[in-house]
Amino acid sequence: MVFSTPLFLFVFLSLTLLVYYLVPRCLRNLVLLCSSLFFYYWGEQDYVNIMFLSTAIDFIHGMLVERCKAKGNDKGARWAVASSVVFNLALLFFFKYWDFIASSLQAVGLNFMPVLNIHLPIGISFYTFQTMSYTIDVYRGDTRAQRNVLNFGTFVTLFPQLIAGPIIKYKDLGDQIDRRNTTTEKFASGVQIFMVGLGKKLLIANNVGMLWDTYKAMAPGELTVAGAWMGVLAFSFQIYFDFSGYSDMATGLGRMLGFEFLPNFNYPYISRSITEFWRRWHISLSTWFKEYLYIPLGGNRCSKGRWVFNLLVVWAATGIWHGASWNYLLWGLYFFILLMAERFFLRSLLAKAPAFLGHVYTLFLVLVSWAIFGLEDFSQLTAYLKVMFGLGGVPLANGAAGYYLFSYLPILCAAALASTPLGVRLYRRGNVRVQQVVCTLSVLAGLLVCTAYLVDGTYNPFLYFRF
Amino acid sequence: MTKKFSVFLTALFCAFIGGVLLISLVLPKKDFSPLENRYLQKPPKLSLSTLQDGSFMEDAEDYVSDHIVGRDFWVALKAWSERVSGKQENNGVYFGKEDTLINRVDNPNMDKLTTDMGYVDALVGNLSVPVYLGLIPTSAAIWADRLPAGAPTADEQAIIDQLYFSTGANTIDLYQALAEHSEEDIYYRTDHHWTSLGAYYGANVLLETMGLEPLDLDHYQKTTVTDAFYGTTFSTSGVRWVKPDCIDTYIPADGVTVTSYFDGTPSQGSLYVDSYLDVKDKYSYFLGGNQPLCVIETEHTDAPKVLIVRDSNADSLAPFLTERFSEIHLFDLRYNLTSVKDYVAQNDIDTVVVLYSFSNFASDPYLFLLGR
Repeated sequence: MVFSTPLFLFVFLSLTLLVYYLVPRCLRNLVLLCSSLFFYYWGEQDYVNIMFLSTAIDFIHGMLVERCKAKGNDKGARWAVASSVVFNLALLFFFKYWDFIASSLQAVGLNFMPVLNIHLPIGISFYTFQTMSYTIDVYRGDTRAQRNVLNFGTFVTLFPQLIAGPIIKYKDLGDQIDRRNTTTEKFASGVQIFMVGLGKKLLIANNVGMLWDTYKAMAPGELTVAGAWMGVLAFSFQIYFDFSGYSDMATGLGRMLGFEFLPNFNYPYISRSITEFWRRWHISLSTWFKEYLYIPLGGNRCSKGRWVFNLLVVWAATGIWHGASWNYLLWGLYFFILLMAERFFLRSLLAKAPAFLGHVYTLFLVLVSWAIFGLEDFSQLTAYLKVMFGLGGVPLANGAAGYYLFSYLPILCAAALASTPLGVRLYRRGNVRVQQVVCTLSVLAGLLVCTAYLVDGTYNPFLYFRF
Repeated sequence: MTKKFSVFLTALFCAFIGGVLLISLVLPKKDFSPLENRYLQKPPKLSLSTLQDGSFMEDAEDYVSDHIVGRDFWVALKAWSERVSGKQENNGVYFGKEDTLINRVDNPNMDKLTTDMGYVDALVGNLSVPVYLGLIPTSAAIWADRLPAGAPTADEQAIIDQLYFSTGANTIDLYQALAEHSEEDIYYRTDHHWTSLGAYYGANVLLETMGLEPLDLDHYQKTTVTDAFYGTTFSTSGVRWVKPDCIDTYIPADGVTVTSYFDGTPSQGSLYVDSYLDVKDKYSYFLGGNQPLCVIETEHTDAPKVLIVRDSNADSLAPFLTERFSEIHLFDLRYNLTSVKDYVAQNDIDTVVVLYSFSNFASDPYLFLLGR
């Protein structure tokens, strides 16, 4: 199930909240577990077992690690951690990358791996990372092992974050799973954040997504330079508003249920460097890779060569995590190169340059990165990039580009504005009375307009089926 | 946030989502939405197989969307929001000038069209009587000046020319005939059909191409049968701010016998079915709407017999043809699996016309039946 459907908002959410707040506190996790499983099964009928398996294995491994550590058996604990990691990565590898590797090998004439046409279990990239980090954290002593399998199941399946993140670490949520308070203040702030997320997804992401899809579907000969840039700009807004909208909805839903999640996006498009962009973009993923891949590899406390290698591994992994296709790997390596360039010489230049140059530099490179991310087919990607840089032999603009620009300009401007913290700053400046009025009107208008878009939702893509 | 305000906001949100659910549950369910001109999703069937293939889930999601309280309001609100946000189309319908809603016509799949032209030629080869092909351009082409500036649309004229150039059938230049009268009300502003006036120009170019005497509109009295027609583009667009269309007729229904085969068996029909003027689907006033076969017999018994492989545009054309043919057979490939070749032989048809709107011809999956 996805959040942006009438079924979710009006049926699933209303009933879940109703039951959740009617039952005694001690049964709340059970309600969450059941509703989350229903939520997951709704979108993934074939592979629910895989999630059960991953949950059970890590529950057991967590206990095992703790028991070994209590006995002073560090070696045993390490083995348990290794076994958990191997198991989760094997799951992820098989379901996500088998077909990709098999077909890539077949393309060069090696046929020993058959293509199995496996569909990717929804959310597997998120929940395997979460369960894996749990066992590691138990070993590191960052959290105690969960003793109740229902509670652990609730953590893994928690529906707000199940299928599109943020990637929540057990050490950040474990205490809240066991004990959390629900207050009206928390619920109301959850409503606010949820509405922001719903609006981001339905009113901006879906809207500009249609523009990107139009340009993505054009043959290179039909494109224009201006159109190609407009298309990729639309995709940049689509992916940001879709993804951060999902994260906001998750955070909001979490608060309605009494949970507090860490922020996942922090206005990435106002960054002045790529390094800053990645501190603001999909924070839960980059911190995950930092804590569980980069630092274990040795981080930067090693030779320069080794450090560069560590970063290369992290960025290749970040790229390929987003989807089993070469363009995602390329996308990750593209950022690796940019980040290296910034570390070695661009950083000092950028620090001296005026702020707007930093913004232009960052946005330009990020836009190009989204073209790489959004076009899986290499021949299409190269043709599209050529057009963007004026090498496609196509006109600068045409009537259709004008039509789309005119049609989408207000939304694109709104998206640009909403990518900055200006709105929030303005809101915070108002006194309490003004804030209450603005908030009430926005929530009400948001509910009405979002419902209209939900009900007449001819276009409502789910972007994370490759994650 | 103050405690009081939190309570208020929480209550507002819960009341809204819970209220919509509750009222939607209680309200009686409709099977058909006249405003949207489509059947609504039926309650999903729960079974092991529908669960396993996910069809239960899909149906349930559609069911909730289709039967939500105030659905018509939400659809209209979305179209309004799109317009306010600067959009010039919604659900594939352009917001044209002069209160005109125009279906977007994208570039068709030329491979499919080429294959279909092969079936037209197969029909020509199968028959000893002359075969005519008429492709009716859409309002997106003829009324291109009413489209939003720069709105992408297929070059129907070029594509029709290309298809006409390669076919062995006789071709009817409907494009030229309609383009000459683009200043007139030849299409409905809220529907995808041509008006009776448009059909009149179509009928004349058809008659001229066949070497028959054209009609003169001055000999007929125009009757406006309704001024409250909202058609199919109105329905899909969600646009509720345009004024309705009129439906006019020119040809009286006297002296004409209509036999309709709605369910395969003959029943007495009529050129004009008044009861449809009281419902949303007013275009079905012409002959009573889509049917597998409709046979119209006229008083001109010495005139030729024509068979029209039809789409719904033929229904408003038929009255004009009654003046020049003894029998008009409207044959719908979508619902009629009889071979056209056999039908022509059995009924002594003198001439065959394959008549489709450009967009129907480009999307119809049944044209292969022409060649059988």
